[in-house]
This record gives sequence, structure tokens and C-alpha cells, in this order.
Amino acid sequence: MNFITIITMLIVLGTVWGGMTFFLTRAIKYEKIKEKNGED
Amino acid sequence: MKQEEFFSSRWSLIIATIGIAVGTGNIWRFSRIVAQNGGGSFLIPWVIFLLVWSVPLIIAEFAIGKSTRFGPVGAISKTAGRQFGWMGAFIVFVSTAIMFYYSVVTGWCLKYFISAITGDLFSTTKYLEYWTRFSSSYQPLVYHFIAMTLVAFVIYRGVSKGIEKVTKFMVPSLLIILIILFVRAVTLPNAIEGIKYFFTPHLDIILNYKVWLNALTQNAWDTGAGWGLILTYAIYMKKKEDISLNAALIGFGNNTVSLLAGITIFSTVFALSTSDAMQQISQAGPANTGLTFIYLPLLFSKISTHYIVNVIFASLFFIALFFAATTSLMSMVELTTRTLIDFGFKRGKAIIMVASLGFLLGIPSALDLNFLTNQDWVWGVGLIISGAFISFSIIRYGVDKFRTEIINGYGSDVKIGKWYNFIIGFLIPVQVVVLVSWWLISSVSWDPEWWNPFHTANAGTCIFQWAVILLTFILLNKAMVNQTFKENN
Repeated sequence: MNFITIITMLIVLGTVWGGMTFFLTRAIKYEKIKEKNGED
Repeated sequence: MKQEEFFSSRWSLIIATIGIAVGTGNIWRFSRIVAQNGGGSFLIPWVIFLLVWSVPLIIAEFAIGKSTRFGPVGAISKTAGRQFGWMGAFIVFVSTAIMFYYSVVTGWCLKYFISAITGDLFSTTKYLEYWTRFSSSYQPLVYHFIAMTLVAFVIYRGVSKGIEKVTKFMVPSLLIILIILFVRAVTLPNAIEGIKYFFTPHLDIILNYKVWLNALTQNAWDTGAGWGLILTYAIYMKKKEDISLNAALIGFGNNTVSLLAGITIFSTVFALSTSDAMQQISQAGPANTGLTFIYLPLLFSKISTHYIVNVIFASLFFIALFFAATTSLMSMVELTTRTLIDFGFKRGKAIIMVASLGFLLGIPSALDLNFLTNQDWVWGVGLIISGAFISFSIIRYGVDKFRTEIINGYGSDVKIGKWYNFIIGFLIPVQVVVLVSWWLISSVSWDPEWWNPFHTANAGTCIFQWAVILLTFILLNKAMVNQTFKENN
């Protein structure tokens, strides 16, 4: 696998899968805060 | 009308909305388009359009649905003004017209799942013949009926007992199955060649404008952004629910599934193909079914020397496809049902009307692949116009007011910055104009009789069918809008 393929893989997977993980952890964090505050 | 039903939690809403976004397009269309557009060269613009098309429009749909608590006709009337209710009706019609043939496609997936699990799929090696025999028989009609009936029953049960319960089972199951298939695929000998092709960009291809336009089209089609479906589910989100973070999760979650499916298919095809792998992935076949219903069954028959292993993997693949199709079909049926509810019908009566009409108007697509291809072409491109109407309604409302008062209003976890104004107010309209013009101009070169409305896929058939529907809804605008607000005051 050449250098450019690895870089592309990192950009694509990093953005999409990384973005998905980032937003998921943020959502979990805010949901916990809302639960703690007793919001419904 | 007081909003009485809600998704029970943030996670239920997200799972149901991911069910809308993840459909058969993530699995078969994505792989084919990647293959036709130079593998890695396509993926870079595809990621960019996730950020400048899909996520902003998903945010818009969530915000309009949550703030207005109406289906598209009432929602667009409230956002853009009552004189533009016909735009909402057009959005409903486009998704409904897609629903007619999508139910047929869902039926195909069910048929192939049953064929796989019973072993019938492996009773032949001539899969084109197998597909032709099936598609030219009465069977697609039977499976179309089953798919529509199943989905109508779920929608009849309502949001929490129907949509929420089914998507909570189907969406995680789909993800687990895809991960199992992914692990198997990347561990096949020679799978690395597929992965290499999938991620290797070529500078000459990346500079080709067609690759960018295909990347935008793929994003528009496979995330469900601009269809009015997410807007409809957003009617049932609680006031305390966030908009932007949920929208980002859905956009990124959808594209995560596309990547999983793409790597799985490329690895499998490169590992097991005896002929030209790229040609096999990129061929469209009848009604774009070449890869899924003709070539993949052949590959599944070679995945192992043990018959039972092949049966398990083929069954898993087709049940995943069936789940993906069903959860998307549910949202289309709910969209039309909700519009009728807004007009004053009870849910039970509305769903009977939608399911009966859906079955009847899906019959031509079930019996004639050319008809299905025509409808896929006309309303597939029509989706871009739906996206434009959503963007237009926000511009009419005031983009900055929409962002600060609705998106960043009560319940928001994160605040969206002014960049959103630029994307919705400028970038999306520009993308729509460029994309629709390109599609129509390209179709002129494919068909010398581009104006002929009776050809399967050209500019004439699109313009004719759009014009008939738009004209009808413009004439009916006052009656539709009055009926919606009369019933809900």
C-alpha cells in the first residue's frame, strides 16, 4: 500500500469514523448532563 | 392538533432517523458509484459534501419539523409563507413516488433473503438467468404486497409502539450483521487489493468535475437529506431534544455505514472474483441491480467450501439489506400518512389509504423494470429540488433568525455558528443549480430525443412529470394549506 493510499484512508476514515465517534461521545456527555439535571 | 406522540428518548430518535438514512443506496449504489468514479478519488469529495450538503440539510429538517410540528405542507407554509405550501406538497409527492417503487425493491431483498436461507439461491450458478426469471414473473408483485403490508402495520401502531420498536431491533441488527460481514470480507485472501483500490486516489480523476457531481448526488441520495423524511420524524422529538448534534450523528453515522459496506463489497469482489473485479462492481445491470442480485450471490457461493457457511453469509447479507430497506420504507409511508393526518384524517384511515395506493401505484414498477428505472430517475433527481425547497423556505424565514431562534433555541447542546448562514443561504442553492443543470444537460447527450417525455431516462420525462405535479399543487395550494391549518387550529 503506497503513501498516498494510506493518507487518503486516514483522511476518509478519520473524518467519517472519527467524526461519528466524536459526535457520539458528545451526545452521551450532554445526555448524562440532562439526566443529572432531571430534564424531561 | 396537540402533539401527543413522541420518541421516548434521544437514542430512539437517533436510531429511527439512522434507519431513514441507511437504505439500500448505502450498500449497492455507494459501491457501484465508487467503482465508476475511481475509488479513492471519489471518497474525498464525498466527505466534503457530507459537510456542506448532508449535515446542514439534516439540521434544517430537524429544526423545521421540531418547531412547526407539521408534515412538509404545513411546515413549509409556516416557514416560507402560506403561498408556498405547494413546495411542501412537492416534497411529499417526491418521497411518496419513491415509496411506490421502493416497496418493490424491499420485496426483492426479502425474496433473496428467503432464497438464501432456504438454499434455493445456491441451486444455480446462472444468476442473471435466476434474476430474470424472478423479475419477469408475478413474484415481485407478491413480495411488494408483503413489504407494503408489513410496513403499513408498523406505521399503524404509531411512533412509540411501531416505528421505535421496529427500528430499535432492525438498525442495531443491521449494524451487527454489517460488522460480521466486514470482518469476514477483510480477512479473505487478496482482500487487501480491494481495500487498496477503494482508497487510492488518482489526481487526474479527482480534478474531473463529474466525480464531484456524483459525490454530491450520492450524498443527497443516501443520507436522506432534503427528502422531508427527517422533518417528519422530527415532529415527534421532544422539545428538550438537541438538533445539531443529533443531525451530525445521523450524517456521519450514515456515511460510516456506507464505508463499512463499501470496504466489505470491494474486499469480497477482489478476493473472490475470477474475472475483472472492477467491471463487476461498476456494472449497473437491469434497474441498477447488477452487483447485488446477480454478482454478489455468485460470490457468496464461493466464500467457503462449506455450503452452510455460504448460506449463512448470503442470508446475513440479504437480511441486512431487507432491514435497511424496511426502515427507510417505513419513513416514506409515515411521511405520506402524516400529511393526511395533517389534512384531518385519523391515523388508521390514513394508513389504509397510503398502503392501498402504495401497493396499487407500485404495481407497474413490480411488473416492468423500465417503469421502475424511469421513476427512479425522475424522482431521484427530483430530490435535489426538494432539498432546494427546504433551503428556500429557510431563506424566506431568515437564515440568521432560523439559526439563532430555532436551531440554537431551547434544548440545543451545541450552538451553530454563522457558517451555517453561508451554507444554507448560498452554497446549497448553488449546488442545486449546478447539479440539476448538469444532470439535465448530460441527459441531452445520452438521448438525441431528450425532449421526449416517454423515454425512460432523459430530460424530457423529468421536466414533464415535475411540471404536471408542480402545476397541480400550485393550483391546489390554497385548498391544501387551508385544510391543514383548519384541522390544526
